[in-house]
Amino acid sequence: MSPSVLQRIASGDSAAVRECIDQYGPLVWSIARRLSRTPADAEDATQEIFLDIWRSAGRFDAAQGSDKVFIAMIARRRLIDRLRKTSAEPPMDPVEVLDTIVWADPGTASETSIEAEQAARALAELRPEQRQVLELGLLHGLSQSEIATRLSMPLGTVKSFMRRGLIKVREFMNVDAEGVLSEG
Amino acid sequence: MSDTRPQGQPDEAMVDLLVKQVTEGLSPAEQRALDVMDSELASAYLRDLERAAAAVTLAGSTVEEPLPAALSARIEQQAAQHFAVASNVADLTEARSAAAEKTRLHQAAAPGRANRFGGYGWLAAAACLVLAIFSWERAPAPLPPVAEVPPAQPAPPTAAEERAALLAKTDSLKIPLGATKDPAAAGVTGDVVWDPVTQRGFLHFAGLAPNDPAMHQYQIWIFDAGRDKRYPVDGGVFDVPANASEVVIPIRASLMVRKPAAFAVTLEKPGGVVVSGREHVVALGATS
Repeated sequence: MSPSVLQRIASGDSAAVRECIDQYGPLVWSIARRLSRTPADAEDATQEIFLDIWRSAGRFDAAQGSDKVFIAMIARRRLIDRLRKTSAEPPMDPVEVLDTIVWADPGTASETSIEAEQAARALAELRPEQRQVLELGLLHGLSQSEIATRLSMPLGTVKSFMRRGLIKVREFMNVDAEGVLSEG
Repeated sequence: MSDTRPQGQPDEAMVDLLVKQVTEGLSPAEQRALDVMDSELASAYLRDLERAAAAVTLAGSTVEEPLPAALSARIEQQAAQHFAVASNVADLTEARSAAAEKTRLHQAAAPGRANRFGGYGWLAAAACLVLAIFSWERAPAPLPPVAEVPPAQPAPPTAAEERAALLAKTDSLKIPLGATKDPAAAGVTGDVVWDPVTQRGFLHFAGLAPNDPAMHQYQIWIFDAGRDKRYPVDGGVFDVPANASEVVIPIRASLMVRKPAAFAVTLEKPGGVVVSGREHVVALGATS
C-alpha cells in the first residue's frame, strides 16, 4: 500500500506538499468558509490550518483513519478555536446557508471517504430534528444555546440530540461501542 | 482501532463537556472542570468524538469550493518557509550532535544527512548563500552611513487595471448597471465585473453624484440566487469624490456568493447598514 500524502510529507517528500494543497485545499477552504465570519477570516484560518497540517503530519496514523478525516479534525479544531477567540457571534446566518448543505448519499459516500459513508449511514438513522441539530452545530458552527434559540427547543434537548447523534456516528465508525453512554 | 483504550466509561458530565469541546469549545471554567476528570479516558473519547464530528463534516461537505489561486500560492509559500526553517533547525541540531560525537570519539566529522525537504532546504541554503555573499562584499570597506534606499517595488495595480485583468478572464461576468429614478442617479452609467471563482469584482461608474462621507456613503449589495431576496450580501461601502467623472470600486463581498442574480447600489448612512431600507437605490443590474 502506497503511503498517503501526509505520510509522504512526514517523511520529507517536498512534492507531497503541493499535492496536499491541491487535494485537500478545497475541503479545508469549504469548511473554513462555513465556520468563519468573513471571507478574510476564512483565508486566514485556511493558512493556519495548513500550517497545523504541516506540523501534525508526523502524527498521522493510517490505522486510526483516513488522511481526509485527519485533516478535517485539524481544520475543525483550529476553526473552533478561532471562533471562541474572536466573538460569540455565529459565523454566518445559518438560515441562509442551510439550503446549501447536501448530505452525502450513504450509498456513494465511500467515494469521498469511508468515514463520510459511515457518518452518512448514521445520519440517515437519526430523526430529522436530530440531524438538524448536528447540521447547525457541526456544519454551521452554532453553539448549543444558539441552536436552542433558533429551533425554539429546550437547551437540554439540543444537548441530548447532539450527544446522541455524535455517539451514533461514533458507533458506526466501529469505535468500541461499549464506551460513552449507551443511549442513542 | 489499534490503540490501547483506557478502562472505564465516561459519565454524562464528562461526555457533555467533551461534546461541547468538539462542537463549540469550552469556557475556562468548563476546561478546569474537565481537567480534574480522568484525563486518559477523556483524551480517548475526545479523539473518538472529534473523529465523529469530522466524519459528519465530510458527509456534509459534498460540494467543495475551489481554493482561490492566490490563497493556494500563499499556503505553498508559507509551507516553503516552514519546511526550510524546520530543515535548518534539524540540520543545526544534527550538526551539534555530530560535533559532540566528534569530540567524544576523536573522530572525523560525522557524515552529513540528506536534507529532508530537498527543494525547500536548497531554497533556504541559497538564501543563506546570497546573504553571506552580500555580507562579505560589504565587509571589507566600511563606508560612511547612508540613508537606506528601499528596493524599488512595482507600483500596485490600480482598481481600473485590476478590473481590466478580471474582465479578460473567460469566466468573469459583466453586468450593465442601470440608473434608477433617485436624484443621485441622474445620468449614471456603469457596469459590474464579477469573477465567481475568486469572488472578486469591481463596479465601474460614470456620472454618479459625489457624496459627503460624513453624511452618506454608497453601499454595494449582491443578490445571490441561493439566498433570501430580503437579505442581499453586503459588498462594502464607497465614496465618490467631488471631481470624479468615473470611479472603479472593488467589491468586498462579506459572504460567499454562489450565484449572483443582481447587483445594486444604495445610499446609506456613513459606514453602511446591515439591512438596507432601500430608500435610495441609485443603480441596479441583473445577470439575466
